[in-house]
Amino acid sequence: MLKIDNVYASAGDKEILKGLSLEVKSGEVHAIMGPNGAGKSTLGNLLAGMPYVQSQRGEVEYMGKDLLELEPEERAAEGVFLAFQYPVEIPGVNNMYFLRTALNAQRKYRGEEPMDSAQFLRMVKQKIKDMNMRDDLLKRPVNVGFSGGEKKRNEVFQMGVLEPKLAILDETDSGLDIDALKIVADGVNQLRAPDRSFIIITHYQRLLDYIKPDFVHVLADGKIVKSGPKELALELEEQGYGWLNN
Amino acid sequence: MAGLITDWTTLADDQLVNDSNLPDWLKAKKQQAVAQLKTLSVPSRKLEYWRYSDANRLALKGGEASPSSLESHPVSIANDGVEQVVIKLNDNGFTVSDNCPGSVRISPINAIDESRWLDLDMNQETVANLANTACFMHGVSVECSAALEVNLVFEYDYKFDEQWRYVRNQINVDTGAQFSVEERFNSGQVNVVNVYDLQRGSVVNRHQMANLSDAQNLISFNQFELSAQAQLNSTNQHLGGSLQHHLHRVNFNGNQAVFKMGTVNKSINNNNIADLVEVNHNKKSNQSDVTHRSIADGASQIFTNAKAFVAVGADESEIEQDLKNILLSPDAKIFSKPELEVYADEVVAAHGSTIGALDDQSLFYLQSRGIDIKQARAIMIESFEQEALL
Repeated sequence: MLKIDNVYASAGDKEILKGLSLEVKSGEVHAIMGPNGAGKSTLGNLLAGMPYVQSQRGEVEYMGKDLLELEPEERAAEGVFLAFQYPVEIPGVNNMYFLRTALNAQRKYRGEEPMDSAQFLRMVKQKIKDMNMRDDLLKRPVNVGFSGGEKKRNEVFQMGVLEPKLAILDETDSGLDIDALKIVADGVNQLRAPDRSFIIITHYQRLLDYIKPDFVHVLADGKIVKSGPKELALELEEQGYGWLNN
Repeated sequence: MAGLITDWTTLADDQLVNDSNLPDWLKAKKQQAVAQLKTLSVPSRKLEYWRYSDANRLALKGGEASPSSLESHPVSIANDGVEQVVIKLNDNGFTVSDNCPGSVRISPINAIDESRWLDLDMNQETVANLANTACFMHGVSVECSAALEVNLVFEYDYKFDEQWRYVRNQINVDTGAQFSVEERFNSGQVNVVNVYDLQRGSVVNRHQMANLSDAQNLISFNQFELSAQAQLNSTNQHLGGSLQHHLHRVNFNGNQAVFKMGTVNKSINNNNIADLVEVNHNKKSNQSDVTHRSIADGASQIFTNAKAFVAVGADESEIEQDLKNILLSPDAKIFSKPELEVYADEVVAAHGSTIGALDDQSLFYLQSRGIDIKQARAIMIESFEQEALL
């Protein structure tokens, strides 16, 4: 599904990713861990197409396409979804309107018929019920007045509605209490499917108690320095990142 | 341009000779205005209120009305289910829809009772508005005496040609009365003065909408007199036009009254919009809350100014001024000025002003969900406008 090959990328004038390679196959869940400033969020932003992050060299192939050549909205319509670490607030635009606009924009790109209001309402009501979230989320302006946990839940709900093929969760667990963490993790687990992959960026092992990854990678100084099974996360929790330098 | 004063006084003199419907007391008011006009000079950048407006556009002859250059329609304000009483103002005078309730009395402005008439304090800064007092030929007097579920709509439907139309309206709202007013400017070359006199405990929800094509001009002066416990909620949407110049003056004449204003100024091409608010806290325990959201694109220019004056003894006044602005092009200009002049001790006041571009992070957020950049910008602008709509 996704093949990142020796990518170098900068954020502003600072080089962050320095020869990163990673392959994600359909249905796999990859956890990316690493110390602060290693480049974890930059990787997520690069894949989603944030203009501030520019690739210098290397290739990213996604479903047979050169991902870096696509505009952010084209990447979204192709199935790439980034759950933001700091979701932005959009006053005056309610979640329902925002999501329907987004969904229909993606459907238009893919040559599908737009979803009318009634169909959309039925679909989101079912989704929000399935994901055990409160439906007042739909009527509220996007992320305005949301607590940190609500914002993260809203990101996962958006993911549920848009049904991406590749979901990148950028520290979705940060700032969540245990109950909120479970809701978010349940939402992700419900979406796991053979044709859907996840890249989960996190600092802590605790999220991986609820979302079991197939692989854990350690990102340090702009590249992946170690990969392993899910037990690697436990090792990192116990020993930190210092031992990787030895 | 130098002949503007002469144009105004000549027009006024002609009316004074030819208009047989003017009562003597109103003739005297107009003559007084003409005499004052002759002592003043034309608006120019030397004046504070015209510093950032191209006053030369006052003298420009209007061309053919072209469709509005605005890329997006104004954000709609829900007023569903409320009955509309429509007052159409045009070159033949005015008409009123036949569903007007008995507790609303509408008559030609010339027929207003002298005791109801409110004199306005004009000076060099407001010379273009003083011209209205000298030259007005149309307008209505509205008297409302009850709490009504009615939306009174003023529709300006003047032929668009080289002539300015001078319109004066006065809205008297009796004690405890309540209703909504909408002023719709869709065409023309209009210089309008609206005077709202709100008696104790009355409530008015007002919405001024000016959506003009590139050749059209609008000058408006809106004075609001608020008695004790009165409340005025005022929303303005000013879009396009060659020149729009709006001055809102608020006088608190009693205690515990509330004035809330939310304004959207949106200027896309070579438009020139000035939007000025003066709030005079003359008495104790009044609240004013002014929110402006302005957006300028192309080579357009916007001046937005909120000024609050708190008189000696007007303690417990509460003032908030929130002016935010977005520039969409390198050639657009916005001048944004919150102002507080406070002579009382116990006052709660907050003011702020920002100017910037659309937030890149927010745009990326929308794009990352599949929305293209053009639509993302439109959503962001609409979201920004919504912050000002009451």
